[in-house]
Amino acid sequence: MPIYLYIDRGSIVHRLNPTVKVFALFIMFWSVYWVDHPLALLPLGLVMVALAQLTGSWPNFYRLRWLFILLIFFTTLAWMVFYRKGPALINTRIIHLSRASLIFGFGRGLKLAELLATSVLFLSTTKVEEFTAGLQRLGVPYRVGFAITLSFRLVPLFIDSALTVVQAQSLRGYDFNRGGPLERVKRYVPVVIPVFMGALRKANNMAMALEARGFGISATPTSYIDYPIRARDRVAFAALVGLGAVYFLIYYSGYGTISVK
Amino acid sequence: MKPLESERAVDPAAAELEDVSFTYAGGDREALQEVDFELRPGEMVGIMGASGAGKSTLAKCLNRIVPRFENGTFRGIVRVGGRALDGERVCDVASMVGMVFQDFEAQLFSTNVAHEVAFAMEQIGMPRDEIAARIGPALAAVGLAGFDDRDPTSLSGGEKQRLAIASVLALRPGVVVLDEPTSDLDPEGKAEVFALIHRMRGQGVSLVVIEHEAEELRNCDRIVLLREGKIIAHGPPAELMVRLELLEDCGVHPPDVNRVMDALGMHAHAASVEEAETIIRAHFPRTAATIATMPVSSEPAPQPRIPEPRTNDENAQPFLRVEQLSFAYPFGPRVLDDVTLAIAAGEFVAIIGQNGSGKTTLAKHLVGLLAPSAGKILIGGRNRATLHPAETAHEVGYVFQNPDHQIFAATVGDEVAFGPRNFGLDDVEIARRSEEVLRVVNLTSERDRDPFLLSKGERQRLAVASVLALRPRMLILDEPTTGLDYREQRRMMALVSDLNRAGIAIVMITHTPWLVAEYARRLVLMREGRVMFDGGVREFFERDELLANSSFRPPEATMLGRRFGFTALRPEELADWIKARS
Repeated sequence: MPIYLYIDRGSIVHRLNPTVKVFALFIMFWSVYWVDHPLALLPLGLVMVALAQLTGSWPNFYRLRWLFILLIFFTTLAWMVFYRKGPALINTRIIHLSRASLIFGFGRGLKLAELLATSVLFLSTTKVEEFTAGLQRLGVPYRVGFAITLSFRLVPLFIDSALTVVQAQSLRGYDFNRGGPLERVKRYVPVVIPVFMGALRKANNMAMALEARGFGISATPTSYIDYPIRARDRVAFAALVGLGAVYFLIYYSGYGTISVK
Repeated sequence: MKPLESERAVDPAAAELEDVSFTYAGGDREALQEVDFELRPGEMVGIMGASGAGKSTLAKCLNRIVPRFENGTFRGIVRVGGRALDGERVCDVASMVGMVFQDFEAQLFSTNVAHEVAFAMEQIGMPRDEIAARIGPALAAVGLAGFDDRDPTSLSGGEKQRLAIASVLALRPGVVVLDEPTSDLDPEGKAEVFALIHRMRGQGVSLVVIEHEAEELRNCDRIVLLREGKIIAHGPPAELMVRLELLEDCGVHPPDVNRVMDALGMHAHAASVEEAETIIRAHFPRTAATIATMPVSSEPAPQPRIPEPRTNDENAQPFLRVEQLSFAYPFGPRVLDDVTLAIAAGEFVAIIGQNGSGKTTLAKHLVGLLAPSAGKILIGGRNRATLHPAETAHEVGYVFQNPDHQIFAATVGDEVAFGPRNFGLDDVEIARRSEEVLRVVNLTSERDRDPFLLSKGERQRLAVASVLALRPRMLILDEPTTGLDYREQRRMMALVSDLNRAGIAIVMITHTPWLVAEYARRLVLMREGRVMFDGGVREFFERDELLANSSFRPPEATMLGRRFGFTALRPEELADWIKARS
């Protein structure tokens, strides 16, 4: 099971300058942020589908399919509790099902799914070293950039260790699913402690290995790979600025919002 | 160990410690006490000693991890290439002293192999052209040429550790320190790394190697033996490696061949199995005259009758039966392929095979952590698939490789009581069982201590105790001796043997040849998810073609014995056999 999402395909997106890719990440988030209506989110979603096809990122989406499905489903459901506008089809103390709450909830779910999809696309096409370089170019200090990218390396390791701990404790007869919600949270103590202690030890070993290989000697290390700005980067940059502007205009003109009659 | 002043003036040491003492913050004793150590240019020095003797602390002084990274009180002077390191940071020393750690997973941070090697060079601000020019040679030097675009996480253990070495070598440091570089590797990975270490030595790199197995350090220039933070002996291997008691006392596994010769009453050192054979034949001319040098035919040589427990009682109902088991992760390749075996009560089975051969996957099936894609497992006649893992926890216990994956309680006593409590046993019974298992693993006096303050060996025994508290009839141990020194390994295995004698079936996954030879009675060899051999341990070591393809190396006592025509499993056994024929 690969730890990283990165898929070495060499598509045109893979070959973009890392700074442009970090900018693309920002613009996608920006565009998603401004609109609420599923119809307004749809074109962005189609762009992402096209990008997934172009970059060969489908295996990652497949790996995370349940996350996408659950995210959309439960967000839609949750907003039926909180968004109590519009003529109700069903109206109980808990659930308020109306066309408006359905559209709003679904829009929110889609929004979260698109944020996730953007991240998946970014990580599928960007090596962690490129991410660091891109952040550095945008003025983020090297150490901060490196720490962010290192976390991408650590999280899967911790998840892996947590799974092992769950297995070890369940073999000692431990039942994680007993009791009410609070009790259940407490029941994860036998997992949290070993994982936390293991994480500390791992992080300590890693920090030691990093320093032993010269990390910290210079605030601006050199980079083995050169990332020149090419014509395709300029085109991509212009397209992204355009996309960001269009989405801001959609918001500004009021088309992206959900109106309740 | 101080060099003569005249020597130092002519040729500064590659690295040296002068009167160095260090106490870790919060530590109750000095981890190093007034240590003087010198590494001459081009020299390879082996550092050995028990866990906690100060080996790693000494090594870490050489690149300033002590005292810059590890907090504590430091006294003394460290010099590299004649230059005192006072005030230097760890990163300042990186291009002079390269350090490779045991935990290779924690040393690799990059997306591909080339980036990994480039990392250190980028840090010191090397120009791009030079970085690019150095990556190829650094990878070639460790036998990873052409691996540039590979994902480091996809490499084997041996490859990962060699990559870690390449990334250190790229800076061309004069001194390379390797802190137990092969503890987590299978025999093949271990051999790869030591072959590389000897190549580096041939290229004039000054080397410090920390290791528990004396055999691996037999060819270095000097050995330094540490105990409780002090250098208690040092000298060429030929001098130190005949002092078997001292080595064992210092938690070091003495070379098998020297143990054989010692048991024969010879106080001799052999640098290899071949050399040991020559020495023994010279001392025991009658043996030499009567026994061929090597088995002439491919048939196993006739063996003396040695009573061996039966590996499997044909008539008894096996406790556990695996029938045509296959397993693959969704969309993944097959990890287990048509595995069939049976384990009876009271057996002692070792499962061996390369990393990735399916050993742990098989073990996880036995306890129900994984469900077969095809085939089935029967426990006491019941189908495993119908049982929850916890339901059989008191029948089949599983001790994970890393004890820290299960330890969480505030005291040793609570940790052991955790399992029985989950099964709803009453307090009296829990207390009785805790008492019993803590006595078995010799941790009774530690009952009220915080488990995180125990040594690795103690934590490993605690993990076994907490699984034993459920009174399983079979115990699966995944690499139970990883990271333990020789004394701790012996103590651990004595415990496992006692349990086995008490009737508990043992299934032990291991890479360590002497553990298999001295303790197991039956051996299962796995390769690419299949069982390649299932039979007696002695029988396995007689199958040359199987051994050649298994990446598993017999212990040296066995290799030496086979040169005399006898498949010995222990050095003492071989010595007795030779004596009886002389």
